[in-house]
Amino acid sequence: MFDIAFNNVNEIIGMNGHGIYVWSVYSIAISILVMSFLVAKNRIKGVKRKIKIKNAPS
Amino acid sequence: MISAFIHKFSSPKSFVQITKTLYPLFIFTGLSMLIIGWTWGLLFAPPDAVQGNSYRIIFLHVPAVIFAELIYFFMALCALMHIVWRVRLAAYLIKSAAPIGAMITFIGLFSGSIWGIPTWGTWWQWDARITSTLILFIMYLGILTLHGSFSNLEKSDRLMSILVVIGVVNIPIIKKSVDWWSTLHQPASISVSGGSSIDPSMLYPLIISVIGLGFTLISLGILTSRSYILGREKNKKWVLDHV
Repeated sequence: MFDIAFNNVNEIIGMNGHGIYVWSVYSIAISILVMSFLVAKNRIKGVKRKIKIKNAPS
Repeated sequence: MISAFIHKFSSPKSFVQITKTLYPLFIFTGLSMLIIGWTWGLLFAPPDAVQGNSYRIIFLHVPAVIFAELIYFFMALCALMHIVWRVRLAAYLIKSAAPIGAMITFIGLFSGSIWGIPTWGTWWQWDARITSTLILFIMYLGILTLHGSFSNLEKSDRLMSILVVIGVVNIPIIKKSVDWWSTLHQPASISVSGGSSIDPSMLYPLIISVIGLGFTLISLGILTSRSYILGREKNKKWVLDHV
């Protein structure tokens, strides 16, 4: 069960002609997930900044 | 009594404080399990006898569509809580979960389309499973659009909750579409009650990927809900203390 299914890096990338489908799907999904986390983190920072500015002593 | 219990444990302040503590644990568990599940599935699981290596998309596609449906189901429960008991937090959670639901449904549709090219010879087919999932994606976008259409946020919350409850009828249709209609999409290979037709060498990384994506999406939900709650409750004293 824990033997690697490929003989070399070229086989991993090519996956017998299916690599383009497999790797493109994972790359795009991971990019979308990472972007979502970055956007969410930035929003929290933005909201906190706005609240601090609004309530800063003048 | 139920109402008192719900209101006691559904304060936005408690939610933000509790989830802030849980976030590091959830994100660590989610990412670790995703890395293990996807590495196992992509490199160590054997190729499928019929589909070859293209089936490895399953370790992303299946978890994505499972959570596309589960997130909507969660939103429907929140919508009921908001309609019946007027729980403010429930509406905040719907609004925070909807973009994540739209995002993961898009990933499910996109990965399925790409998988369809080598497997079915087409990237799209108007069959029951794919079409009902597309409707789910449109529902998520509709919920977000509806909520953004009103300046009165309480009214937006209420209408959004009603739309979410109406739309929940689509979830059993998606689930049962492969049984009710003759579709290009294969029937479920795993069921909660009836075991699995997948070999353990493929099933275990799939289960790990599902759990990993689940924790990752909960972590993302914690972040999106935190920013939304802080924005909505910005005039409350606890928010000023929190920031």
